Amino acid sequence: MGSNASIMLQQEDLQNICQQTGFTVKQVQRLYSRFKALDKRDCGYLTREDLQCIPEVNINPLGERLIDVIMDDYGEHNKINFKQFIFLLAKFRQGKFKSLITEYNTRESKLRFLFDMYDRNHDLKIDRSELLDVLKMMVGGNIHDDQIATIADHTIGELDKDGDRSITFEEFCKTLERIDADEKMSMKFLS
Amino acid sequence: MISIAALVLALAAMNCSLGVRSLYVRILGFIFDYATKIKNDKELSNESSDEPSTSTPNSSTSNLVERSSDDPIEMTSDTPLVSGSTKNDETKSNETNETSLETALDVQQKVSRGSSQSDIQFRLGDIMDYTRQGLEAIVDDEVTKRFSSAEEMAVWNLLTRTQQQHEYFSLRITALWFLGFCVRYFILFPFRLCLFILAILWMLCSAVFLKYFPGKNAKLRYGFYINIVLHRILSRVFSAIITYHNTEHRAKSGSICVANHTSPIDVIILSTDNSFSMIGQKHGGFFGMVQRTLSNTANHIWFERSEAKDRHMVAEKMREHIQVKDNLPILIFPEGTCINNTSVMMFKKGCFEITEAPIYPVAIKYDNRFGDAFWNSSKHDLFQYLILMMTSWAIVVDVYYLPPMTIKENENSVDFARRVKAVIAKQGGFVDLEWDGGLKRALPKEDFKQKEQRKFYEMLKTE
Repeated sequence: MGSNASIMLQQEDLQNICQQTGFTVKQVQRLYSRFKALDKRDCGYLTREDLQCIPEVNINPLGERLIDVIMDDYGEHNKINFKQFIFLLAKFRQGKFKSLITEYNTRESKLRFLFDMYDRNHDLKIDRSELLDVLKMMVGGNIHDDQIATIADHTIGELDKDGDRSITFEEFCKTLERIDADEKMSMKFLS
Repeated sequence: MISIAALVLALAAMNCSLGVRSLYVRILGFIFDYATKIKNDKELSNESSDEPSTSTPNSSTSNLVERSSDDPIEMTSDTPLVSGSTKNDETKSNETNETSLETALDVQQKVSRGSSQSDIQFRLGDIMDYTRQGLEAIVDDEVTKRFSSAEEMAVWNLLTRTQQQHEYFSLRITALWFLGFCVRYFILFPFRLCLFILAILWMLCSAVFLKYFPGKNAKLRYGFYINIVLHRILSRVFSAIITYHNTEHRAKSGSICVANHTSPIDVIILSTDNSFSMIGQKHGGFFGMVQRTLSNTANHIWFERSEAKDRHMVAEKMREHIQVKDNLPILIFPEGTCINNTSVMMFKKGCFEITEAPIYPVAIKYDNRFGDAFWNSSKHDLFQYLILMMTSWAIVVDVYYLPPMTIKENENSVDFARRVKAVIAKQGGFVDLEWDGGLKRALPKEDFKQKEQRKFYEMLKTE
């Protein structure tokens, strides 16, 4: 018989998730199928390796960093289960017009996710070394380290208003004011 | 039982069909419709009791084959970096070292040359595109879904193995399923097993016959027909219903036939209409024995494991084979691995470098309703897979022969391979991907990430 008995989505769980995240039933079911497809060993959670196996994530310069953020901030001990997975994805629902805005997919939570991509020590500040790390990931060997350092210093210089040589979350949001972060960081979930 | 087997053998030999299989498939179609109707009614009544405002009833069962897209998200198209269009740009010729990647030396020179380096500005928001694309890829990507059975059938075909979103609905459906189970495992399966044994007997007898039959050309003269009959018997083992299109483009001797790969059964399917020489590594054990037996009826190209790495040697052997008149056409699956019949992945350029032989492309399209032919080798081994195939309802497949193609004057083999792939994808309605089928088991090379980094760098420069 089928081996699909291990993690079926319970009806009450489903309703709960829909209410809290704002996803429709069909959307949650699709995402659940996807989760199961990625969970090749059928153990009910995803690991770093499962996510790294996705070729498009693997060749993405920020792929590793993205997986770090997901695993460390939303999962635990290198495992992320479906609930954690879907609450993470709930952040990226569009917060406009027809889609509901819940506490998860506000503009601020999207920006906060981006901030976390830089800020790995969670001190609520992006300091020079954190910025350098991300820059190196993005440009690889195409720019000399000195050049990268210059660019980083330049960026911090421009944005740091309170002179602590690092960028706080407020300063971060301010610089992204004119960009429609909600639009750019949303995914259209089909149902 | 024996008389039926003999009947099948006779039919196979004469290439006639009693139409039993087509009738069987039509009946099955009706039964599936009925089952789906029951399911839909049940679903409707469930939905209406839960969410009266938002339920939308499924469209009626008239679309048996309509497969709704099961992508969870709509990919945004405004991102120039890692977007769908890169699939056409990136030449993912993994085998060679002729990548367009610059060495560290070149990069050094570029950095010292450019005076505009100091103008590069980095904005914190520049990570947005890559971040979102990464998330989108996690939710849905083009590659990983090609290596598992295609989901989402509009109609449930009463096999538990395809029963992902269809749960237990009603007593009637479960009863139908149970009946189906009994029919498949206790009636069809033993019968098919007998046919399989018959096929093996045929193969052995013909091998003996050809070995001792006088006359050097016996092998070439009779081998063709013996092969076809063998494969016709085998196709009946799987209840395969094959429809050929454009048979005027059947591959001829001295050419290379190229097809998309979904399962080991592909070979059987194609060989019921034409005989081929196969090419592959020499195995040991049971499969090795099969190879040696097959070699009695035709000239196949088997090479040693050590020779397999030597592409020139392989190409040489192929050329030799093509030059012998009366040798059968060579059958090759350039994807190198089984893909789930929704897309064609990168064609390895090896066989497209042999410019002496015309290429006859073939598109093989399976109809999943009656049995999913895709072999997911990480999930099932060959033996399990064959059992699964023999306990499916049937294998329904369309084979499209396509006009022969030869390499153009200024074309290199990679582009030629791509051209052939596009033709096959168009005919079979497949998604044409440049991704390498080897990604099933291996990670992409570092080069690709470096390429993305290069692109980003270029974009920064020009802002």
